[in-house]
Amino acid sequence: MITEFGKIFAFFTTAILFVIIVYIVSKIIRPARPTYEKLTTYECGENPQGSPWVKFNIRFYVIALIFLIFDVEVVLLLPWAMVYKEYGLLGFSIGAIFLILLGLGMAYEWRKGDLEWARPKPVPPVLKKTNLTKIELLPVEENVTP
Amino acid sequence: MENLKTLVDSLYLLKPEIAISCVLVLVIIMDLIMDKNKTFLPYVALTGFIITAFLVVEQYFFKTSITQNLQKLLVIDAVGAFFKLIVILASCLIVYFSLISKEVKEAFDRHGEYYALICGMVIGMFFMISSADLIMIYLSLELVSLSSYVLAGFTKNSLRNSEASLKYFVFGAMSSGIMLFGISIIFGLTGTTNLLAVKSVMAAGGNSLTFLFASILIFAGIGYKISAAPFHFWTPDVYEGAPITITAYLSIASKAAGFALLIRFITLGYVQQIDASGAWQLVAGSIDWKKFFTVISILTMTLGNFAALWQDNIKRMLAYSSIAHAGYLLLGVVVLTNQGLSAVILYFIVYAIMNLGAFLVVMLIANKIGSEEIDDYKGLGYATPFLGVCMAIFLISLTGLPPTAGFIGKLYLFTALIEAKMIPLAVIAIINSVVSLYYYIRVLKHMFLTRPQNEDLVINTSFAEYVIVLVLAVPVILFGIYFTPIVNLAKNSVALFLQ
Repeated sequence: MITEFGKIFAFFTTAILFVIIVYIVSKIIRPARPTYEKLTTYECGENPQGSPWVKFNIRFYVIALIFLIFDVEVVLLLPWAMVYKEYGLLGFSIGAIFLILLGLGMAYEWRKGDLEWARPKPVPPVLKKTNLTKIELLPVEENVTP
Repeated sequence: MENLKTLVDSLYLLKPEIAISCVLVLVIIMDLIMDKNKTFLPYVALTGFIITAFLVVEQYFFKTSITQNLQKLLVIDAVGAFFKLIVILASCLIVYFSLISKEVKEAFDRHGEYYALICGMVIGMFFMISSADLIMIYLSLELVSLSSYVLAGFTKNSLRNSEASLKYFVFGAMSSGIMLFGISIIFGLTGTTNLLAVKSVMAAGGNSLTFLFASILIFAGIGYKISAAPFHFWTPDVYEGAPITITAYLSIASKAAGFALLIRFITLGYVQQIDASGAWQLVAGSIDWKKFFTVISILTMTLGNFAALWQDNIKRMLAYSSIAHAGYLLLGVVVLTNQGLSAVILYFIVYAIMNLGAFLVVMLIANKIGSEEIDDYKGLGYATPFLGVCMAIFLISLTGLPPTAGFIGKLYLFTALIEAKMIPLAVIAIINSVVSLYYYIRVLKHMFLTRPQNEDLVINTSFAEYVIVLVLAVPVILFGIYFTPIVNLAKNSVALFLQ
């Protein structure tokens, strides 16, 4: 007798075993003749350009986060919009409080300048040399005096 | 329709929480409107906290413990109100500390976030203290944790600060993950997340090894908050790296909320009834919490005390000492009686005052000499006799020697242990107190018995600093001599517990 969880477990085991077996079988039967071209990164037949380890702006992340909040807001507002009439003023004010708080978040981002794409000048936090920190990394390597 | 009406009708039980949420919103709006002028933000927060404190006091005098309202999500009773009071008073003091802390002042442009996050922590801790539902417990725990991760890395300009924040986050994510796993197992077994319903399912024979396992997993999450032994690894690094105000806050408020949550979790989920003598009868066949806590508390205090012996940084030393104190506090829970609970409450009053005081003096000294190494404290007793004497009072109280409040706190804890016939445990605890004497006195030795390195170092204390140090130092002595009021407070809080 197999439980519902047991079925899922069997499913997962099969999936994992399938991948492992396919790997092993292809390893055994395939010919292996690597050349330089074959081992390079595939970029649509062109020669690879630059390193894939590019830094990208953290602002993308902030925007994504803001988007997420307002996306969830829509999901929560839809069921509320279906029923709030039945609850009268009370139901309306509950939704209003929720919206005001979200709006406050929006105002916060706006005021703090997170919505401006070209910010004037980013000021990175300066690591100061104080007695408080015994282990302190120097910001730039050239500053290390031998 | 009915549900919404009951919810709205029982909103009066949530007055402190609503008040503190309004403070949070107010702080943010003020910060946004007055962009550059942030000097009054702490006063806004402070006023809000004091109003909330009055609402909590009002809650303390509600005659019954109320679990029926709010869809059985929350329990409002005197014990909870007491822990809320500790949290809110600690918050008031921390805001005051922040006003005189050099470290916090330097990060002036982020003050709005600082006070808003403290408000966030307070909301989380209030719900943590009164929650009776596993989901509620998890949510409030996360609210506290997320705010405190940011606060731990607040000053940003030193590496150890960011390190503290990151470590706190990684350990916190791990332990809340473990806790959530335990909660999901319990939900799978019983089909409910309400602790009272979980208890009734368990009493009806739904008890098993899996259940025991899940309970221990949930304890891992709570143990992380109170820094009990196997889950304490974050404590020294975070306490050392975070700004001192936040370190002090974590060591009092966060710990108080954690203990309240632990007591709530045990009493709602595992205690069948409280008999006439005040002993808690566990549900038949449930996990033997008595043995479990005995092991945990012995581990916690021994480890905390012995690791503190080798510390050279005073914040790190106080971190280990706070682990040890978590061990002592667990002794009050071990006995599973109302007497034990009132001893815990009594100890918390004392612990909050003396630990805040010790951190305050460390902060004032660091403001002036820019160091927290014990070696740099040489001869400070001569440079600043006032701070030196107050530090001596706080450290002696932390050790638990007679003329101070620390002694009364320990006395009641050990009495509760002996009444419950757990004498070996009491002996171990007393030996631990003796060990702790060494590292507390070492600081005093450096301050008073060695000649100052820098003879003409003079530390002036401003009036604001003078007042706050006295506000904390006087009760330590006063409650050591005249302790009837706090003992009565502790007894009254427990009087109506779970009836």
